[in-house]
Amino acid sequence: MEDQVVRLTSRLVAPFIQIYGIYIILHGHLSPGGGFSGGAIFGASLILVALSFNLATGVKQISHNAASVLESGGALGFALTGFVAIAMGGNYLANRAAGFPMGESGQLFSAGAILLITIFVGIKVASTITTLFYNIIEKEQ
Amino acid sequence: MSPIVIILLIIIALILHFIARVDLKNILTLYLLGLILYIFSFTVAEMPPFGHPGNPSFNEVPKRYLEAGPEETGALNITSSIITDYRAFDTLGEATVLFAAIAAALATLKAHRKH
Repeated sequence: MEDQVVRLTSRLVAPFIQIYGIYIILHGHLSPGGGFSGGAIFGASLILVALSFNLATGVKQISHNAASVLESGGALGFALTGFVAIAMGGNYLANRAAGFPMGESGQLFSAGAILLITIFVGIKVASTITTLFYNIIEKEQ
Repeated sequence: MSPIVIILLIIIALILHFIARVDLKNILTLYLLGLILYIFSFTVAEMPPFGHPGNPSFNEVPKRYLEAGPEETGALNITSSIITDYRAFDTLGEATVLFAAIAAALATLKAHRKH
């Protein structure tokens, strides 16, 4: 597709969508949203760029290797957060009982493991959506 | 069901088969779907009304989440405190499902590709 209007609009809008996705991921414990919805928004911005330009431009933003590393890393980080809680003396995936720093309620860096888990889930969902889309529209070679 | 309804259903089936020339297998499928709809509509009729305070879902669990959630987890978003703290193991399972789904999709898509 060779449309100047669509290309220019998506190029202008994509960074704002990405910032909004990161905002929703980071504020998962404060406002509506969280890892799943924020990751979906972030992934949608990458899909938008790949749709309005072409696949090569999209892959340039996040390569196949980076996507698979992020994907496995997100799931692994989530599981490892649970093991960190065990190492700190709590149950698996415990938060306050394991002694994660809780911070002041209402601040950005608070709620201990919830922020970590939300970030890992967000990374995983964003890379999963993007990888799935790229692989579906990739032509057979 | 009363015998009159059953006789009526059989007559409708005979009419459909011999006059409208509908396949017997299709009539049987239609009747089975109708039976499932009949049972499901009874289930829906027995469901508790939406938002009623006497519903079985309003027990001590949501009360604990709503009253002690911000204090115990430090998160102001109650939904977030439930899915990533109280039920974090369930969310880990969700992430695993996502991982398995993308692995299966990639295996299927890339199986037809020449290298």
